[in-house]
Amino acid sequence: MSGPVLAVNQVGKSFKNKQIIKDISFEVKKGEIMAILGPNGAGKSTTIRSIMGILHPDEGTVKFHGHSAGSIPRHRIGYLPEERGLYKKVSIMDILLYFAELKDYPVKKAKERALTYLKKLGLEGKEKSSIEELSKGMGQKVQFIASIIHEPDLLILDEPFSGLDPVSQELIKSEIKELANKGTAILLSAHQMNVVEELCDRLFMIHRGQKVISGTMEEVKAQYANYKCVIRGNNEESILARLPQVQRVEQSGELATLYLEANIQPSTWLKQLPEEIQIQELTVSRISLHEIFIDIATDKKLLGEGEKSA
Amino acid sequence: MRNSMKVAKWEYRKNMKNKSFIISLLITPLIFIIFSSLPSFMDLFKSESDPVKVYIQDEMNTWESVEETLLSQGIEWDVQEAETDESGMKEIIKNTENTAYISFSKNLMEQGKLTVYTNEEIDKDFEKQVNVLVQPLRDLQIENLQLSQQDKDIINQGITIDAVSLSKGVGEVKEDPLKRLVPGVFAGIILFSIVMTGMMIFQSASNEKKEKVAEIVLSSVDSSELMQGKIIGYFALGITQVFAWILIVVPFFIWKNDFPILEYLLVPETLLLVFIAVLGYLLFAAIFAGIGATLEDMDQTSNFQGIVFLLPWLPAALFSPVISDPEGIIAQAASYFPLTSPAVLIMRLSVLESWPWIEISISIIILLISIWLFMKLAGKIFKIGILMYGKNATPKEILKWLRY
Repeated sequence: MSGPVLAVNQVGKSFKNKQIIKDISFEVKKGEIMAILGPNGAGKSTTIRSIMGILHPDEGTVKFHGHSAGSIPRHRIGYLPEERGLYKKVSIMDILLYFAELKDYPVKKAKERALTYLKKLGLEGKEKSSIEELSKGMGQKVQFIASIIHEPDLLILDEPFSGLDPVSQELIKSEIKELANKGTAILLSAHQMNVVEELCDRLFMIHRGQKVISGTMEEVKAQYANYKCVIRGNNEESILARLPQVQRVEQSGELATLYLEANIQPSTWLKQLPEEIQIQELTVSRISLHEIFIDIATDKKLLGEGEKSA
Repeated sequence: MRNSMKVAKWEYRKNMKNKSFIISLLITPLIFIIFSSLPSFMDLFKSESDPVKVYIQDEMNTWESVEETLLSQGIEWDVQEAETDESGMKEIIKNTENTAYISFSKNLMEQGKLTVYTNEEIDKDFEKQVNVLVQPLRDLQIENLQLSQQDKDIINQGITIDAVSLSKGVGEVKEDPLKRLVPGVFAGIILFSIVMTGMMIFQSASNEKKEKVAEIVLSSVDSSELMQGKIIGYFALGITQVFAWILIVVPFFIWKNDFPILEYLLVPETLLLVFIAVLGYLLFAAIFAGIGATLEDMDQTSNFQGIVFLLPWLPAALFSPVISDPEGIIAQAASYFPLTSPAVLIMRLSVLESWPWIEISISIIILLISIWLFMKLAGKIFKIGILMYGKNATPKEILKWLRY
C-alpha cells in the first residue's frame, strides 16, 4: 500500500478561548495498530472526534486515503466512541443492520457478519434480544460488532476495553489483532498500558493537547525508557545510590529498584557491580509504558534526556 | 438526503415495531367508534316501556284522520275510547300512571286548541309525540275552511326566510357549509396527528442522547441529516396514523350516517388545507428536534422545555374568537403569527365562505420563512446538544449555541 490510510497533520482545536489540542500530527498505515494515549482530558477524544468530522478542527488537515475533510468516505471508517450506548428497546440484529445500512453495507452480508461475530464473541442466539436484556459487557461487545460490521478500512476505537472483564478483553484483543492482520488500519485509545504494549505497533502520546511521545513501541522504549535494575537482597540504600550511573533508588524491604541513566549498556553496567552487594535475585528491564504514562500524567518528568529531545 | 431517508426509515420501522405505538394506532379510532356508537348501543339495553294509554273523546271523528300520521312516525299508543265524561276522565288520569286523555271537541277547529290531560307519571317522550298531531290537525283546520286549492297551497306554503348575502358574490346561492368544513376538519385531524407524532421527535432526540447512540450515528451521517431524517420519519408515522384512522373510522361513519364524506373530501381545497397542516408540522417538528436534543433526562424537564410542549395548543385558546369572527382582528393577527397560523388558517378556511387569498398567501410566506429559520436554529442547537452528555442544557447555554 503506497500512502497511509489516515494522515493527521497539525490539527488544532479550541473551545471558547481554550486550546484543547494543538499541532497533532500522526499517520496510521494499513494493517497497523496505532495507540493514541494520554491521561484523562489530554485531548484524545477531541482528536478522534476531529478525525471523524464530528468536530471540525480549527487548524490542520485530516486525510483518509488521500481524501480531505468534506470528501472523506465515512462509510469506510468504523468508530466506537468513548461515550457510547445503543437503542435499548430494539433488537440487536435490527441495530446492527441499521448501522450497516448507514454505512451503505449490503443487508444480506451484514446479517451474515452479525451472526458470525455474535457467535465469535459468545452472543450466539442473542440477535433477537434487546440491549436491555443483556449485561453491560455483552452490550459493549455488540457495540464493538456495530463498529466493524461494514468491514471498515480504518477502525477507530475510543477506550474499547473500558468496562470489560479480562475474558472479554482477551476476546476483543484477539479480534482487533485479526482485523489488523487482514489489513484494517486501527487507531485506538486505551488506559490499559499492558494491553497497549501487547497489541499496538506504534503509539502517540499526548498531554495537555500536545504530543509528548510517538513512535514504534521499541523506538519509544529505546528513546524514552531507561533501564531499571531490581535487586532482592539485604543492601543499604545509600550504598546502592552510590553505584555508578544510578539516578535514584526506591527501596522497599529487601527489594530495591535502581533507575539507571540513559544510554547505558546493561552488560557493561552489570560487570562493574561491587562484590559486597548481596544479590538473591536481579532483573534488568526497561521502564514500562505504564511507568512512562504515570510520569507524564503526574508531571514527574522522570523520563530523563529522551523527553527533552522529543 | 439519502442518509436522511435511512434515518427516517429507521425511525419509522422502530416505531412501527413498537407495541405501544401499534396499540395507540388502533385504539384511538376504536375509542372514537365506541364512544360515537355508545348512545345507540345503550338504547339496546333500554327496557321497552309500555305504550302510553290514551283515552280519546272523539266527537267529530277526528282521530281517524290523524292516527295515520302518528303511526307513520312510529308512535304507538294504547288508544281507548273515553269511559266517562271529561270530569270523570280527569279523575281517572290523576290516579293512573302513564295515561293521558285527549278530547277532540266540536269547537277544536275554531279555537285551535287541543287539550291533553296527563299526570306527572307519564313517558317523558309523550309531550313530543303529542306535538306530531299539530300538523294533521292544522291540515284538517284548513280543509274545513273550504278554500280553493290555490288558497290552500298558499297557506300550506307558509313563509320561509331566504337570506342571500350580496357582499361577496353577486346573487350567489349560499354554499353548503359542509363543503368547506369537511376538508377543514380533515386537515385539522392531520395537523393534530402529525404534530402529536412530531412530539415523539422530542423524545427520540432526547433518548438518542440519553442512550448515547448519537455519536455512533453521527460518525455516518451529519447532524442535519439526522435531524431531517427524524422529521421525515415522524411525519410518515403521523400520516400512517391518519390513514389508519381514516381506514377504520370512515367506513364506519359512512355506514352509520349515510354521509357522502368522500365527495366532500375529494376537492382541490383539501390540498391547500393539508399543505397548511404539513407546514405546521414542519415548524413544530423543528422546535421539538432542537429542544429534544438539549434534554437528557425527560423527568427533569425545566419549565422552559415544558413550555415547548404547550406551543402547539396555543391556537386552542383562539378557537372561540376565530370561529365566531373568522375575519376579525384576532383571526387575522393569529394567521400571521407562525406558531398559531397553521391551525388558525385551517379554522378560518373551514368556516369562511370565500377565501381571503391575499391573507392566505402572506400567511404561507411567513410560515415558510419561519420554518426555514426554525430549522436553521434547531439544527444549531441539535448539533451541539445531541453530543452534550451528562446534563440538560440551560436556556442560557442554548442561546449561546445559537451564536456559534
